[in-house]
Amino acid sequence: MSALTFTLKSRPKFTLDMSPLIPDKLQDLTLEKIKKLGLVYGKETVKVESLFTVKGNIKNTIVINKSCEQLICVGKEMSTGSITVKGDVGDFLGQSMKNGEVTVVGNAGSWSGTGMSGGRINVRGNVGDYTGAGLPGDAFGMTNGLINITGDAGDRVGDRMRRGIIIIQGKSGAYCGSRIHAGTIIALDKVGKHSGEGMRRGTVILAKKPSHISATFKSCGNLKMQFLRLLFTQLSNIDDEFLFFSKYGPIAHRFSGDLARNGKGEILILQTMTKR
Amino acid sequence: MKINGVEIVDTFAEAFPMKATRIIITAMNLKWAYQAANAIRGFASSVIACGIEADIERELKPSETPDGRPGISVMIFAMSIKELEKHIPTRVGQSVMTTATTACFSGLDSEKKVSMGKSLRFFGDGFQISKTMNGKRFWRIPVMHGEFICEDTTGVTKAIGGGNFLVLAKTARQGLTACEKAVNEIQKISGVITAFPGGVVGSGSKVGSKYPFLTASTNEAYCPTLKGQVKSELGDEVGSVLEIVIDGLDEELINQAMRVGIRAACSFGSAKGICSISAGNYGGNLGPHLFHLRKLLK
Repeated sequence: MSALTFTLKSRPKFTLDMSPLIPDKLQDLTLEKIKKLGLVYGKETVKVESLFTVKGNIKNTIVINKSCEQLICVGKEMSTGSITVKGDVGDFLGQSMKNGEVTVVGNAGSWSGTGMSGGRINVRGNVGDYTGAGLPGDAFGMTNGLINITGDAGDRVGDRMRRGIIIIQGKSGAYCGSRIHAGTIIALDKVGKHSGEGMRRGTVILAKKPSHISATFKSCGNLKMQFLRLLFTQLSNIDDEFLFFSKYGPIAHRFSGDLARNGKGEILILQTMTKR
Repeated sequence: MKINGVEIVDTFAEAFPMKATRIIITAMNLKWAYQAANAIRGFASSVIACGIEADIERELKPSETPDGRPGISVMIFAMSIKELEKHIPTRVGQSVMTTATTACFSGLDSEKKVSMGKSLRFFGDGFQISKTMNGKRFWRIPVMHGEFICEDTTGVTKAIGGGNFLVLAKTARQGLTACEKAVNEIQKISGVITAFPGGVVGSGSKVGSKYPFLTASTNEAYCPTLKGQVKSELGDEVGSVLEIVIDGLDEELINQAMRVGIRAACSFGSAKGICSISAGNYGGNLGPHLFHLRKLLK
């Protein structure tokens, strides 16, 4: 018994839509049928076996080897099981996923976790722009779930997100948490300008003091936020990967806003690493 | 059957189905967690007039609480989910939220839930914030001490109320000393509570009364001052009867609590004024759960 493994034979010239290769859709298929499945490749549809070597039989656990950024929509709409990607992936990682776990050991493109409503995305590398954000025309970005980025993130992390948690362990770009309706973004390294711009509600937690806070955020001073204690305790209970959160204390400089939008959101700049 | 010279009467305790929930109260330190826990369990000795029965279950270490602070778990029992729905928000609102630095969480996972923060959030007057973590929803209600954090709902489970035993003693002092030790032993068991003040009932009741407006009245068969006037269950030497009432999550827990409680009470022996151990029942007509004293002590 081994995980269902797709090994890319060679780097594709065009983008390859990987959305059919999720545990939900493969559960009842034989290995032969999986090999014959069609994938949208550029303007054409090609069979899985023409691009991948397929092995394994545990269809709830999928591994994609030798991946590259041409592979898009990995884990799209999945609601069960796990996908592990070794290598980079393109845009729309975990788009609209409902449950399960996607882990990328590499970098991911833009729009990771857009529209997701549950589950967890781990990227052990960097991500592009609009992580957890809403697509143009969508009312909201992600509405639940957890996105954990070990590396850096591009601009507009969590734009218009409605619920859920995004953790950026590396640096974040500009407009982090812009226009968020609710939810929590935790940026553990430097962030770009205009964090929380246009936010209505929600929380942007910054472990490092940003170089710039918009004038439309009002300082509430340094406060001991019991919410932070709860959040960090809950996160460190999820698994060992988040144990480091137990070193963060509850004292934060709170900025409320965005007042330009009559917002009731907050930017919390952590003041101490020592638990009190 | 005798333990240490104390007669175990061949009778049974009669208990009935209830609904229960467990809430976890945390605070800056245990002192303030106790303030809230004692407030919420106040006036919660019996469903007869209080609506619920509640008591502190145990202290919790910071590693056992959702927010990593010291805490207290409180168990709350009621006759129905509807009663819990009615009392949980009001008691948490008035007793926990008003206590400085506290937070309140569910201590029981189940499919059935009653609202807690879901109702209390309106105190935030529009400034309340909802947060979802690990599949649970919490409310951050801005208050004058900072923020009151309360879980959206708390789980409800089937439970049993009314497990009991009576300690028949020569004097009230001797009976109470035995009961105190019994309650101390019972409190070591998780999942059970003794909701009456100090865990001991000084005025046990029977169902009904000569007055039609009263659902419960004094249990005259066990009142020492009524010996001779009514059909008394007390011998000449008995001068005081105290009752320990136990609510628990299941039959086995109540069995266990009654066992350790009775053994602790009997440890004083007849030499120290403990005459016998009996139990309150209604002829088997009130509840489906019967706890035979001699059987559970075997």
